[in-house]
This record gives sequence, structure tokens and C-alpha cells, in this order.
Amino acid sequence: MRALLKSAAAALTGLALAGAAAASDWTPPGPIKLMIAFAAGGGADTQARLIAEDLEAKLGWSFIPEQVTGKGGMNLAMAIKDMPNDGSVIGMVVTETLGYNMAAAEAGVTPADYTPIVTTAGFQMGVVAQSAKGWTSFADVVAAAKDGAELRFGTMSPKLTDLAYLLGKAQGVEFNIVQVRGGRAVMNGVNAGDMDLGFMAGIQTKGVAAGELVNLASALSVPLNQTPEAPTLADLGVDFNADGYFLFIGPAGMPEDARDALAAAIAEAVSTEGMKSNGVIAKAFGGPAVIMGDELSALVAGDYEAAGALLQAASE
Amino acid sequence: MGVLDYIWLGILAVFQGPEIFSVAGFGISVTLVMILSGFLMGILVGATPGLAGPMAMAISLPILISIFGFTPDALLPVMGFLIGVMKGATVGGAVPAILFNTPGTPDAYMTTLDGHPMAKAGQARKALKIAHVSSASGDTFSDVVLILCAPFLAVLVEAYLDLPEKTALLILSLAFIASVIGGSVGKGLISMGLGLFVAYVGTGEDFYPRLSLGTQTLAQGFPVATAILGVLILGEVFKALEDLWWDRRAARPPAELVQSGDQRLHWADIRRIAPYIGRSAVIGTAIGALPGIGSTLAATLGYASGARVHARTRPGERPFGQGAPEGIAATEAANSSVSGANLIPVLSLGIPGNAAAVFLILAAESIGGFNPGPSVFKFTADAVNPELVVAFGLFTAMMLANLLNWTIGGVFMRVAGVMIRIPKHILLPVVLLLTLTAIYVQEARMSAMWFAVGFGVLGYGMRRLGISPLPFVIAFILGGKLEDTARQAFAATGGDVWFLFTSPVAAVFIALAVAVVVLSLRRPLEAKA
Repeated sequence: MRALLKSAAAALTGLALAGAAAASDWTPPGPIKLMIAFAAGGGADTQARLIAEDLEAKLGWSFIPEQVTGKGGMNLAMAIKDMPNDGSVIGMVVTETLGYNMAAAEAGVTPADYTPIVTTAGFQMGVVAQSAKGWTSFADVVAAAKDGAELRFGTMSPKLTDLAYLLGKAQGVEFNIVQVRGGRAVMNGVNAGDMDLGFMAGIQTKGVAAGELVNLASALSVPLNQTPEAPTLADLGVDFNADGYFLFIGPAGMPEDARDALAAAIAEAVSTEGMKSNGVIAKAFGGPAVIMGDELSALVAGDYEAAGALLQAASE
Repeated sequence: MGVLDYIWLGILAVFQGPEIFSVAGFGISVTLVMILSGFLMGILVGATPGLAGPMAMAISLPILISIFGFTPDALLPVMGFLIGVMKGATVGGAVPAILFNTPGTPDAYMTTLDGHPMAKAGQARKALKIAHVSSASGDTFSDVVLILCAPFLAVLVEAYLDLPEKTALLILSLAFIASVIGGSVGKGLISMGLGLFVAYVGTGEDFYPRLSLGTQTLAQGFPVATAILGVLILGEVFKALEDLWWDRRAARPPAELVQSGDQRLHWADIRRIAPYIGRSAVIGTAIGALPGIGSTLAATLGYASGARVHARTRPGERPFGQGAPEGIAATEAANSSVSGANLIPVLSLGIPGNAAAVFLILAAESIGGFNPGPSVFKFTADAVNPELVVAFGLFTAMMLANLLNWTIGGVFMRVAGVMIRIPKHILLPVVLLLTLTAIYVQEARMSAMWFAVGFGVLGYGMRRLGISPLPFVIAFILGGKLEDTARQAFAATGGDVWFLFTSPVAAVFIALAVAVVVLSLRRPLEAKA
């Protein structure tokens, strides 16, 4: 519920700021190049493209979407770094890109090389298994592992792999951690029986509602909207979490009026009912979660610093 | 609700869907119109050198969704259209392969081996008809198997294939293709090795892009379209342009392919190719049912097994690779019979096996109301399971598309033979332009053009050196999957380095992979002795 209130509040801020943006007279100097760090056709890609469509319809701006995928968003980050910073080039990544991934990649860049613009939606990241396994709580998983079952834990990014390792460590068991590409691959693996449990970032919603999948734990700092009784990672003895958002960024030094106008326009699109992007976000990502301005800058900086601690903890 | 009720509801869903217009008081459902238009578009796209079905599906999907919206009513029209494209392109794909030696997809490559020699020998129309009959038969057979077996088969396959077995199966596929295609095991392995090498540029799980020479251009790896279309089509275009140039220099008129002789397909012909169609249809269907392997392997296996039987049983006749009608039949039946069976893992597990299946899953997900997966085939007795109705609606759409395939497809193939009269100096630049456009539509960056031309030069060189480009293409497609499953199998077995040998099924696959290479190496020696 807290998360819901938080996102609702954020959405309202977005709306308020959007009004302000309409008054501001910044317009893009030309077509905006929209780099997308997600595979074409997936939920995240659809979200990015629909946001562009909404803004084209509403404000008359024009967008040129382009896929720059791979390396957990780092390919996009490296590509956008030296692009013009006048608001004519933006990219959609996840907060993890500027956090854990950037810290782990050691590619010579930091979040200071980018302008964070706005977040659009969060992840409902859960630890999920097939209901057919018969597990109803995470304690059942631990009990099965202690009975000698070799359990395969599916993850979709190096950060989540570290979290799965720490989760096992905190509970005194060892998982065979299988890292795959994307949440859909984790869900396919769990459904096909190649994995026993895994992280899913909202894609499990339909399966859980249908009773085929079960949320055993929340990988967030707060409980999951769908299964509030499932314990969080903190409850299970892990000091880190998988809180994360879809994030629009630009190159460093973007003028404030450009950044704020872009942020407000995107925030309004994803928060307004009836907009196409709002529809897909409500359906696939549990509703909009808009963070911008100083709060966003602090969030991004904090994620990057916390990444070092997680890397350290996972290598112990 | 019994099984028959569900089948009936599915058929009704197609025929009694929202009406688009009415003829003499009978409403024509929009789904029917969409299947037909998809089919027509697919067959045209398939028959155009440089274009292929999956690309047409990729471009039309967003347009369709914005027309039909996100309601459950949109499911059957949109997916019917995509199924139409898929089926049409499967039949049409043989046209450029036979007439111009430029396959639009890797799975049509084997069709060029016998189809183009037949066209050059003046039998283009007959070759097209054989391709049509084989393709439509394989497709229909596969759909029947899908409809009968979908609920059980995929679950059964998944139960036996764990990650190590999947890795071993991929290694077996690569070993088989490298050693069987193109006559020389050495050349096949070189071609495959190059494909794997190119597939591993820029990919991988580390944050640092490997083999990128520090440039941002290579950090994302080579896009699939540039490598495949470059090697298969641009390579052929470059080679054909050079041939044309030599002909001009020698002041010879460019060879015009004179069409002559009996172009009709007789019952005797059909009886002759029927065993090849049957064998390939079974092979293609079996491969299609395996999650994530795809139609190129099926075409290759169908062709290779057909070639062996042909050499053994009919030694006096024209061998495969020199214009044998049986060669076209074996390939086309195999690659077409994948498409139906491929939907078995798609519908019951949600795992795609080829590019066309990926777009069907995308359509289902974008629209909503239908989630390919284990829940689809629950025959609920008390309440209607709407997903099952959609599944039977899709089956109906597939059978309708098959009907179109047999009727309109046949007419089209007869007419398409005319295209061979297009002079090469006009055709080749058009193919070049279409191919580059197709690549740019999928990869909107200039570097993709350079990659494509580079791969074209590679394909040209391979053709000049007698190296088959097919192992390259298949290795490129499967390379990423091989690395992923191998990494996952290693992790899933708790870091066991012997994961390929600990399970009996995987060990058998690996032993077969070694055997197929060794045996292929030995065969030429025996022939010499």
C-alpha cells in the first residue's frame, strides 16, 4: 500500500509539474533521438515508444526511436555520453544502469557524466516459483534446500545474481544461480522447469493472479502490491534490495529548462489516464512512479554509492 | 464443455467475429479478411528478393495494434494476419531462391541448390510448382500434428531436455550442419567457426564488450539482419554482378534463361517426390516441436537425409545439388513443416522457436487476453476457458491459410515464373537496393549498411572459394543461444565442468556430434580408395 501511495503521490507531483511545463516555452531544437536500452518489442521498449507517441500527439515534438541494447544499459550509456546535451538526445535505461552496472563495469564513467531526467515506473520485483512446487512461503524453499534439494535460482542481471547469492547466504543455503537475459527468460525457465525459482520484475503478475505462480518474497525495500504478506529481502536478512525504476537520461550538462520540460512532459504522459503509455505502464508495471529533479539526482547518486557496498558484500 | 465444444467455439470465433462488411446479407468477419490480406502480403513479400516474412511481421505488428487496439476482440484479426503472412511467406520464399539464387531467409538456402539449376536448365515453372506442392503439404501436415498434439508434446519434450541436454543438442546441430553441407568437412568447419566468431563480437555477459577493438560501433555486436542478408543475398548479388561484367567483357550476351520443355507437374512427378515430402515433413515437424531450434536446421536435415536416400536408391538419376526435383521437395517440405509444429512450444510453454513465433508471442502479449503458456490447454468443464477458444480460433485460421496456400498459392506460383524474364542488369540493382532498405528499416544506423556490405564481400569470397555460407549463417544464429545455454547449464549444475557428459541424453548427443564429423571425414577417403 505504501508503494502505491508513494507512486500516486509521485504521479500527482508529476501532474502539477506538467502544468508548469506547459507554461515553459522550451521546445526541442529538432527531432529528438530516443535511445532505448531494451530489446525491440518487449514491455520496456513498448513503454518507451508509446511515451514518444504520446508526446508527438500532444506536443507535436517528433522522436526517432533507436535500439541501443546490451550490457545492462551500459552500451547506451557509453553511446549517449558524447551526444549533444541540448535535449535533442535522450535515452531510456533503468536506475540499475547508472548504479550497480556503472560501478561494476569500470568503464571510466560515473553518474556525473549524465543528466537524469525522470523515472516512469518501478519494478514489482519478487522471488517467484511455480505453485506446482508446493511452496507457499520462502521458508519452504529454505527447508527444501536444507533437505538436500539442489535449487536453481534464475536471475536477469549481475546485481540480482549478487542478491540471490546473499539471500542464500543469509538463510544458510546455497543456490545454483542461473543468470539469463531478461525477466521473460526467467519466467520461461521457471515455467519449463529449468529453474526452481527466480526474480521477476512484474511479469509474474498475471501468473500469480491465475494461481500458477507464487510470490515467495519481495525483492524490494517494501512489500509487493500483489502479495503484501510475502517477506522483504530485509526481513530475510539481506541488507540490500532490488528497488529500481525505468529512467530517462541525457548527456551531462543538459540545460535546466530542457531537462525540466522533458521531465514534465514525460511525467504527464505516463500519469494521465487515457494516454497510451499510461495504459501500458498500468498494465505491465503496476502504475506510474514518477521521480524527478533533486530527488532523482539524490536517488541516482545514492544507488551508485550503494553499489560498491553490494559488490563488496557479494565478494566476501 | 467438451473438446468438441471448444473446437466449435474456436471456429465460430473466426467466422462470426466482428463484421467488416456483408455480402448478400452474410456478414464477413474481419478475421477472415485479415487472414486473406496477411496471406497475400506474405506471399508477395516472400517472393520479393531481399524481403522475408519475419520482417513484414515486424513492420505490420505495431500498425495492426494501433488499428485494432488492445481489446481481446483484436486477438484473432491481428494474429490471423500474422499467421497469413507467415504461411504466405513460407510458400513465396521459394520464388527468389529458385529464380534468382537469392534466398530471402536462411531456410530457403537449400532450395537454391536444386531449384536454381532447374531454372537454369529451363524448368523454372516446374521447379516452382514442386516447391509449392511440397511446401503446402509439409505445412498442412505440421498443422495437423500441432492441432492433435500441442497440449502434450511440448511438455513431454521439456521434461526430457534440461539445460545440459539443450546445450549438447545445439552442439550436435552445429556439428551436423558443418560436416554435411557443402561437401567438405574442413570448409564447413571454417564457415561455422567464422559464424561463431562473428556472433561473439560485442556480446556476452560481462559489462565490458568483448572483441570490440574499443570502438562503440562494435560494442553492440553485429545485427542479425546485416550478417544474414549480407552473406546470403549481397554475396550472391556481388558474384552475379561480377559474372555479368565478365560476360560483357567477353562480348557475350548475358545468358538468358530460356524456358522450355514440359513445365507441367504430372502425377508421376508427384508420386516420385512424395516420399521425400513425407520424410521431410516428419523431420521438420519433429524439429519444430523442439523449443528454440528453428527451420533452417530442419531444411538442412530434410535435404541431407533426402540426398542420402536419393543417392542410395536411385543412383542412376540426377543427384541432389544439380537440379533434382526431389531436392527442392525435401527442402521445402522440411522448412514449411516447422511453422506449425513450432507453435507447439509457443502455445503450451510460451517459448518461441523461430522469428515468426516471436512475433506471434509479441502480438499476444501486447494485446492481452491470451498468454501462451501451460494454462492455455486447460479443458475446463464448468466455465469457458477463453484462451482455449482463442487457441482453436488460431488453429482454424491456420487451416484457412493452408487452404489459401493450396489454391491462391498455386496460382501465384504459376504466375511468378514470369519474373525470370527480368534482365539481370535490372534485377540485381533492385535486389541490392531492396536488401539494403530492408536492413536499414530494422537497424536504423549507418554502420549497419557498412556491416552488410562487409558481410556481402565475405559471402562473395566464400562463394568464390567454394565454401558454403550456410554453416556460417546457422552458427551466427545459434552462437548466442549456445553460449547462453552452456553458461546456464554450467551454473544450474552447480559449476560442474562435465555437465555435457553426466546425463546420458547429453552424452549421447555429444558422441553423435563427434561421430558425424569423423564419419564425414572418412567418407571421401573411402571413395578415393
